[in-house]
Amino acid sequence: MNFWDKISSLDRRWIYLLVAIAVILPLIFPADFPVRITPEATQLYEAIEALPDSSVVLLTFDYYPSSTAETEPMSFAALHQLFRKDCRVFTMTTIPLGGPSIAERVTRTVAQEYGKQYGIDFVNLGYKANYVAVLKGMGTSIEAIYPTDNSGTPLAQLPMMQNIRNYKDVSFIFAVADNAIVEYWISIVNAQYGTPIGAGVTAVSAPKYYSFVSSGQMTGLLGGMKGAAEYEQLVSKPAIAMKGMGIQSLIHLLIIGLVLVGNIGYFFGKKKGTRGISV
Amino acid sequence: MRTTVPVIIAFLSGIVMIVSFFFNPDRTILGQIESEVLVWVTIVGGFTLLLGVVSITRVNFRSVRLQKEGWFFNLLTLISIFVMAIPSILPVSWSPLFGDREGSIYDWLFTNVDSIMMQTMFGLLAFYIASAAYRAFRARNAEATILLLTAVLVMLWRVPMGEAFLRLFSDDLPQWINSYVMNGANMSVQRGIIIGAALGAASMSLRILLGIERTYMGKG
Amino acid sequence: MTGIEILQIWIAAFFTLAIFSFLYRDNAVYKFAEHIFAGLSAGYYVGLIWKSVIIQQLWEPMTRADNPKWYLFIPGIIGALMFARLIPRISWVSRLALAFVMGNTAGVFIISQLHGLILPQMQDTMLPLLNGGFAGSLLAFITVIGVISTLVYFYFSKEHTGALGVTARVGVWFIMISFGAHFGYTVMGRVSLLIGRVYFLYNDWIGSLSHIF
Repeated sequence: MNFWDKISSLDRRWIYLLVAIAVILPLIFPADFPVRITPEATQLYEAIEALPDSSVVLLTFDYYPSSTAETEPMSFAALHQLFRKDCRVFTMTTIPLGGPSIAERVTRTVAQEYGKQYGIDFVNLGYKANYVAVLKGMGTSIEAIYPTDNSGTPLAQLPMMQNIRNYKDVSFIFAVADNAIVEYWISIVNAQYGTPIGAGVTAVSAPKYYSFVSSGQMTGLLGGMKGAAEYEQLVSKPAIAMKGMGIQSLIHLLIIGLVLVGNIGYFFGKKKGTRGISV
Repeated sequence: MRTTVPVIIAFLSGIVMIVSFFFNPDRTILGQIESEVLVWVTIVGGFTLLLGVVSITRVNFRSVRLQKEGWFFNLLTLISIFVMAIPSILPVSWSPLFGDREGSIYDWLFTNVDSIMMQTMFGLLAFYIASAAYRAFRARNAEATILLLTAVLVMLWRVPMGEAFLRLFSDDLPQWINSYVMNGANMSVQRGIIIGAALGAASMSLRILLGIERTYMGKG
Repeated sequence: MTGIEILQIWIAAFFTLAIFSFLYRDNAVYKFAEHIFAGLSAGYYVGLIWKSVIIQQLWEPMTRADNPKWYLFIPGIIGALMFARLIPRISWVSRLALAFVMGNTAGVFIISQLHGLILPQMQDTMLPLLNGGFAGSLLAFITVIGVISTLVYFYFSKEHTGALGVTARVGVWFIMISFGAHFGYTVMGRVSLLIGRVYFLYNDWIGSLSHIF
């Protein structure tokens, strides 16, 4: 077994160790990296900046706790921009596991910073089952689908919700999601009711949505932690996503290095009859 | 009876949505019917989630009762279900530990245990993707080489250090990747997939409404 | 930092490390955490559905003094029919509830897929061919080729030979570029999730040591 054969048959746990080191090192020795902003993120930011003050915006928390590292910074950044513009924000979620808890925690944290009052400046509607019916039903009447807010207060008793009947009363929908729900926001809500939609999505699903930005069905797109970092920079609230870009840089370079070494090992090993190792 | 009635229900429940699309829901009785049907669907949808919980409880209970291998872990699952569920449905007026608000058992367990583990489970994938990239990402032929080169370019483009590296070759390279890779080739493929999948979903929906597609009913 | 907060952090750190221990190999500590995770997640649904469906959508609207919606007992009963699935002898009854939901979703889908996805996506593929100037038209031309060749690649009703085979082959190249881009993005996604947990362990858990000692 020559050197390249040994490299090719390296125990996976050594790779895990390298990944762990690449994550921990930038935490011990942090460094700031400038994040260049993509046109898609700028489009989303400018669409919200162009809204008249006090506009009604629906911010969705369509993500599971598993993806909060990518999506939650987007929700935080979005709320900073919306509350700074004095927009009236109501939130909802189509995610049964954790969605309502995350929405409550994030909105109340940012609202406190801007002195916003629940029921007047923001409302959390919470969760209702079967997202296709929920999205469609809110087009006729939000109150029919959500008779109460997340904590059980009837919508009629919340001053902010008294003039918000359906999508016609909503100026913009900012969907933050980790699944295919954004496609339903586009195909059901944007297509049938015309409400503009911008989205922050996980990196895994981002490539799909370029198609909707191009067709004008989506107004802007944030993809993964990079998208979150871009938005943090746009709203001048650098937080965990921007800090994470240093770690991302190192791990991406590590993975590119692993691919290169793996391929060199494959080609040198190939001459000796070994064709690399399948996973 | 066992299949005809469900087919009729499916047809009626779906046709309301189609017909109401062509009328102004605000002004017609059809709009009110549509709205009410959608509320009913959200209510019924909630029960399907509960069915899942009952099912997982039954499976674990059976394993404990029969003392199957690893039954202790099934018992742990059962205890966890009840410790989470029971306090959440008890009235807050009895104790601030009940219900689902901040400070309740339900919220505490979700925030400090359940949510943490869910995040960590998915965090494991970073290790696996690194290992997979090392072991399986090979330039075996022309197609695999295109895939590999695009992946490396996009990985570099997405991070600050990589983008700085790309700019060593040309200042326009990052913008070129955004325009021609993401908004060009990638976008056209995604569009093809979106159109293909939507055609499939629409035709499957029509089959369900017309009662041709009945597999969702199961056997019996 | 209070004692309770430190305890919370240590419990969260224990479960984080318990899950990470699977990287070395499957073990009892991992199994312990995994089964608690499954149980708590199932339990979470109970609390959520109890509040958001049973109380907020059924009980309160049915029992309120002003304009009670007593007829909501009907979807309540339809929903309860789902549980018939657990009893083999009458499991067919659950089809009534299932058909209600499936039919409704199918009805919404027929419109939304045609009107919200297929037509606008096709429109945006073709219109820029004529309206985009030279650079725009070139990109639009690439897009048209990409869309058609991708659709052809996934068309399995006819053997991929002749012109169809060549087009499908072009489709594969486009698909490889898109999947490569997907992989590049996926790396970032997976690493982000890991960063979140390591950030917690480094800042909160190790940080809590300074409050203890």
